[in-house]
Amino acid sequence: MNLVRSELLKIRTTNTWWIFALISLPLWALTLLINWLQADALTSNNLGDLSAEEAAQVAAVASVDALSSNLFTTGQFFGLLIVMLLGIIVVTSEFFHQTVTTTFLTNPHRTAVMSAKLVAAGVLALLFWLVTTALNLVAGSAVLNAVGLDSQLGNDAAWRAIGLNLLAYLLWAVFGVGIGVLIRSQIGATVTGILLYLGGSIGAIFVIAILAERWGDWINNLQLLVPSLASSLMVAGADIPGNPPRWAGAAVLIGYAVVTGVVGTLLMRRRDIS
Amino acid sequence: MTDGQRSPTSDGQIVVSGLTKQYKNVRAVNDLSFTVAPGRVTGFLGPNGAGKTTTLRMLLNLVTPTSGTATISGHRYADLSDPLRHVGAVLEASSAHKGRTGINHLRVICAAAGLPKQRADEVLALVGLSPAAKRKFKGYSLGMKQRLGIAAAMLGDPRVLILDEPANGLDPEGIRWMRGFLKNLAHEGRTVLVSSHLLSEMQLLADDVVIIAAGQLVRQGPVEQVLGSMAQSARVRVRTPQAEALTAALKAQSATIETDEQGVLLVAGVDAPTIGRAALAAGVELHELTTERPDLERVFLELTAGKAGIR
Ligand SMILES: Nc1ncnc2c1ncn2[C@@H]1O[C@H](COP(=O)(O)OP(=O)(O)O)[C@@H](O)[C@H]1O
Ligand SMILES: [Mg+2]
Repeated sequence: MNLVRSELLKIRTTNTWWIFALISLPLWALTLLINWLQADALTSNNLGDLSAEEAAQVAAVASVDALSSNLFTTGQFFGLLIVMLLGIIVVTSEFFHQTVTTTFLTNPHRTAVMSAKLVAAGVLALLFWLVTTALNLVAGSAVLNAVGLDSQLGNDAAWRAIGLNLLAYLLWAVFGVGIGVLIRSQIGATVTGILLYLGGSIGAIFVIAILAERWGDWINNLQLLVPSLASSLMVAGADIPGNPPRWAGAAVLIGYAVVTGVVGTLLMRRRDIS
Repeated sequence: MTDGQRSPTSDGQIVVSGLTKQYKNVRAVNDLSFTVAPGRVTGFLGPNGAGKTTTLRMLLNLVTPTSGTATISGHRYADLSDPLRHVGAVLEASSAHKGRTGINHLRVICAAAGLPKQRADEVLALVGLSPAAKRKFKGYSLGMKQRLGIAAAMLGDPRVLILDEPANGLDPEGIRWMRGFLKNLAHEGRTVLVSSHLLSEMQLLADDVVIIAAGQLVRQGPVEQVLGSMAQSARVRVRTPQAEALTAALKAQSATIETDEQGVLLVAGVDAPTIGRAALAAGVELHELTTERPDLERVFLELTAGKAGIR
């Protein structure tokens, strides 16, 4: 507990967290705008001619459940990136500023220290999720009203998506800590994290689309293996035809988080600090 | 210090035994054994690359030894129940977050170690850094950084102090302050282990020395004793107008002789009375006959000769 307090104090006593909060805000606003436009388009029924299969998919994302889920998890795309970067920094800044020596002198039980870092990163993720969700409940309801729907504040599917969104925030923070241990260089880890997240998801969508074209639809299930796609799948408001089920996305993401967290901790236990 | 309350096992003694660290290409520390006693300042000496930092880091559980053990009061560092209350260590001057204030740096440590927050203010006052408490670390001078490191080490009021090259980059005033501070801690009965490659500094500070070179122990003991063990190689400075005659007389005594300036001989291998007698017997006139006290610097260079340098 002392260790977690100390880790949180470390974060609070530098300007990292509010710089990241400041970066998050415009990104959140941007995603809100996109989600609004999307909701507007989906509810106005002028998407042109669609095949039966496409129509089914559109119907799924255009359902109130899916729309409200999407709106109430606004900011997720960049939010996850931000908490992952915070998780990375929780570890790499110790190497960058050479404070890791002091940290391990203060408590030589490295598993405990690493656990505290994982928890602290999780607490940060929780706070980011809390603030974002509060904003989303207000802004999302407003958008739903604007496109002629109810606020959906009582929608079970929406609340499930909000809960899963929290899970995604937590898992990405843990993921970040793991990346930070694997790549101690602050710059190296940050760049890798961003590439993995952005490049990974965009590239993967592209590659998977091509492969699916060539080898058949089952390839679409591979998107599960891409962490950022798995997490967006996990928080999708409804199961979309042709996509893997949501629980699978959650399972994959938890798997990644556990593996990076455990591997990171084990590595840190053995590493010489010199 | 409240030594009376400590259990008998918490004697403050440091024991290094057969310690070895093999890096990929370098045996940084090689079967090193020595002990450090409480109540004294022990200088841990060796040229750059001798393995001092590696040894201290193994002692503090930061680096895993290839073989051997290092204990403090009979325990490995990782097994100490409350390490900060037992051991304070200063390893690098620059080990704080650049954007964090000095006081917050200390509070972070207090939080992790379960120490009351006020300790941060107390130790800052102890090292004379209170005025800079709320300044960010990046604005600190090297001397202030070193003081902050010492403040952090003192948070738990530890029985044992371990410092790696604390004099590095300090100005003469800072070095004088540090010397007084560390001597005082030893006076209070604490164990003080200070590494350095600056021997002149240790001569004024240390009670005991442990000298290593190329990862191996060269000599350990009280400063005077280590100096004394070199006494036979102490040189005698002789000034004479009859240098050739005296040289011939001394060569017969199997002394080794160097000439310094005109008419000055530096004689090793024989002591001053022997030289005096030889001069008298040979009818040589002497203008000066001085035994040069071997200083630690020279002893050190001789002891570590051939082992220093880049490995
Ligand atoms: N992490 C490391 N990896 C490889 N070699 C190292 C490492 N740390 C130190 N060394 C080598 O071990 C030797 C001893 O280094 P060090 O303990 O820092 O000496 P000192 O502190 O006495 O100057 C040097 O040759 C150094 O290059
Ligand atoms: Mg060193």
